[in-house]
Amino acid sequence: MLQTAPPHAKRHHSGLIGDQPAPPAQDIARLKKTKRDQAIHPGWLVAPASLWLIVFLVVPLIGIVVFSFWTPIRGGMTPDFTLINFGNFFRQEGFFDPEHRNFLKLSIFLTTLWTTFRFTITVMAVCLIIGYPIAFFLAMQVKNFKWQLALFLVAMVPFWTSYLIRAVAWLPMLGRRGLFNKMLMNLGIIDKPSSFFLYSEFGYTMALAQLYVVLCIGPIFFSLAKIDKNILEAARDMGASNFQVFREIILPLSLPGVAIGMIFLFVMLMGEFATAVVVYGGKTSTTGTVILNYYATANYPFAAVNAIMLMLAMMIGVFFILRVVDIRKEL
Amino acid sequence: MTMPRKSTLHEMKTGLSRRRFVLTTAGAAAAGTMTGVPAIVYGAESIRTIGLGVSIINEIQSKASKDTGDKIRGQALGYGAMIGKMLNQNDQYEVAEGYFNDMDLMIPAKVWQPIDTKRIKNWDKVSNLTKTGRLSAGSSLGQGDAPFRHLWLNKDGSRASGPTQYISMLPGWHNADSIGYNPDETGRKIESWAELFSPDFKGKVALVNAPQIGTMDAAMAVEAMGLMKFGNKGDMTRAEIDKLVNFLIEKKKEGHFRAFWETFGQSVNLMVSGEVAIQSMWSPAVTAVKAEGVPCIYAAPKEGMRGWHGGCAISARVTGKQLDAAYEYLNWWLDGWAGAFVARQGYYMSVWSNVKDHLSQEEWDFWYLGKPAAKELSDPFGTPIVKKGEIRDGGSYEARFKNIAVWNSLMKENDYLVKRWTEFLSA
Repeated sequence: MLQTAPPHAKRHHSGLIGDQPAPPAQDIARLKKTKRDQAIHPGWLVAPASLWLIVFLVVPLIGIVVFSFWTPIRGGMTPDFTLINFGNFFRQEGFFDPEHRNFLKLSIFLTTLWTTFRFTITVMAVCLIIGYPIAFFLAMQVKNFKWQLALFLVAMVPFWTSYLIRAVAWLPMLGRRGLFNKMLMNLGIIDKPSSFFLYSEFGYTMALAQLYVVLCIGPIFFSLAKIDKNILEAARDMGASNFQVFREIILPLSLPGVAIGMIFLFVMLMGEFATAVVVYGGKTSTTGTVILNYYATANYPFAAVNAIMLMLAMMIGVFFILRVVDIRKEL
Repeated sequence: MTMPRKSTLHEMKTGLSRRRFVLTTAGAAAAGTMTGVPAIVYGAESIRTIGLGVSIINEIQSKASKDTGDKIRGQALGYGAMIGKMLNQNDQYEVAEGYFNDMDLMIPAKVWQPIDTKRIKNWDKVSNLTKTGRLSAGSSLGQGDAPFRHLWLNKDGSRASGPTQYISMLPGWHNADSIGYNPDETGRKIESWAELFSPDFKGKVALVNAPQIGTMDAAMAVEAMGLMKFGNKGDMTRAEIDKLVNFLIEKKKEGHFRAFWETFGQSVNLMVSGEVAIQSMWSPAVTAVKAEGVPCIYAAPKEGMRGWHGGCAISARVTGKQLDAAYEYLNWWLDGWAGAFVARQGYYMSVWSNVKDHLSQEEWDFWYLGKPAAKELSDPFGTPIVKKGEIRDGGSYEARFKNIAVWNSLMKENDYLVKRWTEFLSA
């Protein structure tokens, strides 16, 4: 006969790999008692982090929001409330004027934000296409844990060196006199060096994907490694094809990792401006460069408006990623 | 603005994104080359000075500390950070090593105090380039933020129309920039800014990616081509900016530009790797390209060059003994040692008679007079950079500076300029 167990005894909590049985009730009770009696109040544990975040994140953020409403003057700003900075962000000269070159064209700052977003999405897609199979291979095909770890570290090797070295390394690869052009010429595919690879959208996308792909390999690898192999076996025993196993079990269970990886990528790529300079030869504007250009000539309110818009875009992006995958539920 | 030292790939790596940031790195790199611990004599006063890597170099401030007996600490910043600190934290520095093209920000903000020329020992020796705008009789007055337009102040810090006892900033190091090119690639001598947009070099042209400077180089070019005539290239109207940027967008869509460089190192790399044949460039970068064994010539366009001028200002907060020490440091800059130091990097000083005393005859002849180098010459850190027989591109100091077409400027329409530049890059 089944006994009614205390509710928590039935619950399982998930460990890093597979589910673990919940500890017996008396242990929990004992632990809870100890905690109440001796342990430091949890509030104290989060205090340093909270304080740090408040001083170095929340306060500056409030500052940015406040400054965006101040009036810019030559050489700074005055605390006079104005909406002109936001107006300037959206306003475009000659928007409705059919004679004007800007007829029905959106403000350049919106367009720039959109360009930044477009590159971000493209690179995220490339990263996913490259990153998922790598993570899949590591987690599913490599059986030995030691090898898994070793190969995962190999995938990380480029990240042992600085970001800028990795970006600059593309120049001798893709340039007019670069390795890639030499190879194609030796193979007789092209007869004179192509300038298509470097300082182009192609080179830029490739470089960004290489620079950031590990950010999504990690989380996807961990969520794949967590999948209980017995479930896969059970599915196969019941006659599921490899594709069915992937579609019905592996893919849904790896989505939290994908979502986390995509959030990492999204946030990093939206704020990106250095790679555009090095690999794209500055031939595009990102919202990051706009902020820098206005900051450099002391128009802080307008730089602040651009920063706020970038933040809003990031928040909306993250919100949508989380709408697709409910990470909390999945974990 | 120009970079102090020849660049290497190292600078590309460490100098991250922007011209403004790389200048900081230059200071750090310079610090790295310092040999031994300087014997700083700890004087009564401590002076904090901020600026770009052009003038904030460990050797310079260490020597100043030794000579004045004060403790002078320099902080090299990126351009944006420098402007930000100068404007918003004038209690965090005593001396600001700024640039005359930023005076429209600095003078109204009253963050600096007027400098009393009576307290400047060598004031009479300071050249007329900054006082009247003409280095010698017959020199042209450049357009834009020429130093003489921002130099003179009243005692209360407001602008004065003519010479007074007070100045906004003590004139110091300066230079003139133009275009650099690889003669093997161009196949001809470049003598005009118009060549920047010659269809012959399509796809092999680069511009500096700073809206304030890049547009000016482009303006020099379209004016030389006869396409446009500007009222004042240093202070363009919206209509002029529109016409110029529309032209640039058209050229960009044609694929005329290979890249837009932001750091000194990038401009060197573009030339060395054969990606560009002709580009706007700073003169020490040309030296750096040549050091890599790639032919590179600094053009002296017949339309004139684009000048820039730096100097030392004093924070409005400084008083008493500290003010005396600050003046001492300013005076030290004009004594000649510092002028000789920056001369070996290709920069000029406002009091050149004192610089002459600190340079060898061969150095003086090469750097200031534009004569062939009588022997191998080194940069201030001892690295040989000039081969025997070499001639400085752009000729003598006088030849360069009597024909400045335009000075680096901050236009009234700067916000609009940045906006249209953003559009140009996105096009």
